[in-house]
Amino acid sequence: MRHSLRRGSAPPTGASAGRPAEPTEPTDSADDFDTTAEVDATFRTQRRVAVGYFVVFLAVTLAVPTLTLVLGWWSTGRIAGMSPNFVMAAGGLYVVFFLVAQAASSLADAVEDRMLGGGDEHLDALPHDDGTGST
Amino acid sequence: MAAPGATALVALLVVTAGITVAARLRARSTALDYYLAGQRVGIVTNACAICGDYLSAASFLGVAAAVYSSGLDGLWYAAGFAAGFVPVALFTAAPLRRFGQHSLPDFLASRFDSERVRAVAVVVVELVILAYLVPQAVGSGLTWSLLVGEGIGGLSPYATGVVVVSTGVAGLVIVGGMRGTTWNPALQFLLLLATLVWLTVVVVGAGFSYGGAVADLDEAPLTAPVVRADGSEELATVTHQLDEGAPARFGEAGARYDRLGQFSLVLALVLGTAGLPHVVNRFFTSPSGRAARRTTVWVVGLAGAFYALAVLLGTAARTIVPGAAVDHDWLAPLTVDGVLRVPEHAMLVLGRIYGGTGGLAVVATGALVAILSTIGGLLLAAASSWGQDIYARHVNPRATERQALRAGQAAVIVATTAAAAAALVLRPDDLADTVIAPSLVATMVTWAFCLAGSSLTPVLLLAIWWRGTTARGAVAGLVVGAVAAVALIGFGLASDEGINPRASLLLTPTIVAAPLAGVVTVVASRRGAPPADLDRIWRRMHGTAADRHAERLAELTLESTR
Repeated sequence: MRHSLRRGSAPPTGASAGRPAEPTEPTDSADDFDTTAEVDATFRTQRRVAVGYFVVFLAVTLAVPTLTLVLGWWSTGRIAGMSPNFVMAAGGLYVVFFLVAQAASSLADAVEDRMLGGGDEHLDALPHDDGTGST
Repeated sequence: MAAPGATALVALLVVTAGITVAARLRARSTALDYYLAGQRVGIVTNACAICGDYLSAASFLGVAAAVYSSGLDGLWYAAGFAAGFVPVALFTAAPLRRFGQHSLPDFLASRFDSERVRAVAVVVVELVILAYLVPQAVGSGLTWSLLVGEGIGGLSPYATGVVVVSTGVAGLVIVGGMRGTTWNPALQFLLLLATLVWLTVVVVGAGFSYGGAVADLDEAPLTAPVVRADGSEELATVTHQLDEGAPARFGEAGARYDRLGQFSLVLALVLGTAGLPHVVNRFFTSPSGRAARRTTVWVVGLAGAFYALAVLLGTAARTIVPGAAVDHDWLAPLTVDGVLRVPEHAMLVLGRIYGGTGGLAVVATGALVAILSTIGGLLLAAASSWGQDIYARHVNPRATERQALRAGQAAVIVATTAAAAAALVLRPDDLADTVIAPSLVATMVTWAFCLAGSSLTPVLLLAIWWRGTTARGAVAGLVVGAVAAVALIGFGLASDEGINPRASLLLTPTIVAAPLAGVVTVVASRRGAPPADLDRIWRRMHGTAADRHAERLAELTLESTR
């Protein structure tokens, strides 16, 4: 079900005397429209995805200095002449960062594809925030 | 050294100016085009431009310097700088672009429908920009000193570098706007990466073994030059911050940070990136929210490659310079018993050891490229904040677009002058024995990250991901975060106790200031009301209608050209 609800037209994008040009606003044509319920459900899912990946990212990143404090081998062991601590800080973490960013980005894209753009009609029936900060 | 150095510098400026003018000639003269390059910058181009803006003197000279002087503890600068883009990819890139404003203050003001938020955000943004500009100017002076070695018009080489580079970049930004400063940093980043790759290939080709070097360096205590009471210099063993009484070693933690210091630095850099105005502004130039997110993933990969090489070269310099000091007389005034007096010279010295004066010119050009592109992005962010957010809205609401652009360009001149003046006052030689040495440039840039991460980032995250955030909360969070960060850094500098754990923590206060700003934002938001049209704001920020529309238009355009 596509709502017949229409937002007001987008603000003008052209410049006029006294006002600088506004950047491109989202445009709501009949085909390009998201309902409040759809967006709210997607937002909550995206927030869970982002927070989940951020926890993984932070845990791995902070684990490197933490292991220095609790595990002697982490600083004294040798992998090709370098300690595991040095290997992770000098190169391993960059790989982790890229993998986390790539995985999160792919999942976020998939969530948007699935939940917005008319894919799931049942979402219109979902409750949504009333703007009082209950989320 | 003056001839090849000057030649390299002139060539760099000519190419940069050529690109700027060419980009400018293609552009329309609207504010949208000047500040956001028409919002049509491709993913890879934008990723390279963001890297060019982001990878400053702190990254090119500072990371190698930090590794050179502090070993493993110095690596955390590189890891933190790269890590900062992961939260951007997760939390801010796509929603910021979808909301689609001119600048960070413009975004916050529109999100909360509050001119008060805009005004406070502009003040914080300008402080961040100034804090970021000063170390770039310092890096300009350091690089000019080593590259050209001569002053102009009675100025010292350091002062000449500060003045010439600052003036040159300000001129390019005024002429080129965002379109000029997109192609420039994108190409400059590729040049920067090529310089690092070349130096790495040369160093490794000469027999440098990464693992072997770290193992060898671990055998002896880490040392640093110190000035004795009689003015002479000697090497002193660096104290271990995690193991009292023991000497610090290159490949182990503890040369610079105590237990809390490492976490404090990493959190400062991780949270700071998301609030850097010149980085945030780049995301508004993407064609869609999804493109902005994908751009960030590219940035994470490209920045990771860059920093991994910078760390390797810092390690190489620590291993190679002592031996080279015996064979190369020109290293004598730069070293004390084989250890560099100014760690920021590490990369430059490495270039001269392996490539002669031409090699030094290549690396120094890379350093200047890093500085040029970052200053350009920062100045454009300053222009956007003042020209669009303050002048056109408050000072002269009836201003024509041309007048608003002129106001932004005036802000470029003011910001450049202030940063150059501060760099001339904060001479590196005078700061050699203070808490911010070693790795002077990287430490100074970290203050900008701390300010952004303590003030702008918490409010930005809550504005995007919590519907209950209000204008009152945003103002309170911005003010409390900024004041806390500045005050704590000020206490750290005033402690005058040399390098110590307390100073390290105070100089990277985000771990304290960011949570404080977040809590204050939430508490103060409870006392205010969200904007009346919050549902519309949420659809605009988190919906993909505009993305789909843009993608369909792009497809139609492609079909029509077939």
